[in-house]
Amino acid sequence: MEHKVNDFLKYLKSKAEVKLYIEESFLVDSSNLKFDEDIFFVKGKGDLILGLVKFIEEETSIPVINSYKGCWLAINRFLNSVYLKEAGIPIPDFTLNPKGILPHFKEFIIKNIIDQKIYKFKPIVKKENGHLQVADERALLEVDTKDPRYNYLYYQKFIKSKWEYKIYGIGDKVYYYKQLPILVNSNKMESRHQIDEIPELKEYCYKAMEIMDLKLTSLDFLKSKGQFYLTDINCTPNFNYIKNGPKIVADFLLEQAKN
Amino acid sequence: MNIGILSKRKTMFTGKMKQFFVNNKGFNVKVYTLDNLSINDTLLSNDFFVLKSKNIFFIYAGQYLKANKIPVIPDPETSFKQKNRIHSHLLMKRAGLSPPHIYLSTVETLKKELNNNDFPLILKPIMGSGSKGVKLINSFKDFSDNNNKRILYLEKYIEGEHYNVYFIDDEICTLIKPPLSHEHVDMEKISTPLDVKDFIEKWRKYLEGNALFGHIDIVREESTNQLYAVDVGSFPEFSQWQLDNISPVEAICNLILKKFRDFHNI
Repeated sequence: MEHKVNDFLKYLKSKAEVKLYIEESFLVDSSNLKFDEDIFFVKGKGDLILGLVKFIEEETSIPVINSYKGCWLAINRFLNSVYLKEAGIPIPDFTLNPKGILPHFKEFIIKNIIDQKIYKFKPIVKKENGHLQVADERALLEVDTKDPRYNYLYYQKFIKSKWEYKIYGIGDKVYYYKQLPILVNSNKMESRHQIDEIPELKEYCYKAMEIMDLKLTSLDFLKSKGQFYLTDINCTPNFNYIKNGPKIVADFLLEQAKN
Repeated sequence: MNIGILSKRKTMFTGKMKQFFVNNKGFNVKVYTLDNLSINDTLLSNDFFVLKSKNIFFIYAGQYLKANKIPVIPDPETSFKQKNRIHSHLLMKRAGLSPPHIYLSTVETLKKELNNNDFPLILKPIMGSGSKGVKLINSFKDFSDNNNKRILYLEKYIEGEHYNVYFIDDEICTLIKPPLSHEHVDMEKISTPLDVKDFIEKWRKYLEGNALFGHIDIVREESTNQLYAVDVGSFPEFSQWQLDNISPVEAICNLILKKFRDFHNI
């Protein structure tokens, strides 16, 4: 994680005092939580970080970016699908099924329900009666262990798309990129390039940020038969991929702190 | 009318509710367990749902249904807040129920930051309710977890008398229970102390109509006589309910139906 935020921290520390709260070494003691920060920036999504964010929001008026609601909904694929669909943002059909009960659509991708840990997507691809079925290895492992915590799989209808659109939302600024889908080229950065604004995606980005209470996000879209579908939403994007990304994010946070 | 019940099992309280709705009201009832529950549009053929269990997948189903304008009783958002111990702690605190102080950290950090006089503590799963996975921690030796990076939720253990307090609408049934026990052990019924009644009223008032029934585990601290709420539940089995004039199944089914009618202004 540290190398991902090096430039960001270096710049931020030149402008403000910065204190780091690290999941693995911090103790949340409900009888002794005092903060004098002007703003909190959340770069993790583990249980302690989420709990701490909840405490800060409940017990202080310090702004937190992103909020507990934004983080929780972003890491929970099922819930964000529910609320994005309710808001009218096009997303692929989805279902949450007990292991062994297949979805009502033929071609699908199985993803982990809670996307809380940092890991690389490892697709397992197969064709069943001519229909494409993709599974994230991690999602299968979660239900295939000896003593699984749960027995459910999240299925998302597979969208065949020439490009994957990667959109970053930082406050009211939106940045647009596209790349070959990961199943076509696993090195996503090889084909990634910046593209012109797409008004439709801008509108979806603003809407998604509003309903999920995200001030900072990255969104993945696929396009099929002229229709965009939002397939993934992230509350802790790697903004190093944007030109001057660390500075843009840090300046945004400093501005928010002043407000 | 078509009613769905989201429940871990088809028997016990759920079975009795089904029987009540079918036999007394003539409704169609389908029970969804973790074996047959797929969360998608197939659920939307029901008029309303009863969220009997706080298993996270039933809560997800409740949230899905609510987003699709199907009434779910008890409210899934409130049930989630009672399922997640951090939310639950903050909820109880806001309601004025004085939950004990909590700690959240890894074993490694706890060993560095806590002192011997911080014990005893109660280890509880972050997502959970009742006594499942709950363990008394008297010293650092009791941390048997091999995963040093896992985040643990610990609560100050309050020495004193433990109450299991059920409520159905305005009726309260207070029982003395052994510490850290589940709902189904033998308990002694007592008349509800005034401060316990006050706790229940605060809770129901704070949840603004989203606590038609439920339970709170309360401890009266021996040294101070002060009450602490240590657990809340949105839909217990009521297996120890001991007020003879009230049938929990009938009373709860009628409260649920009234809430459903309120949704639709019937």
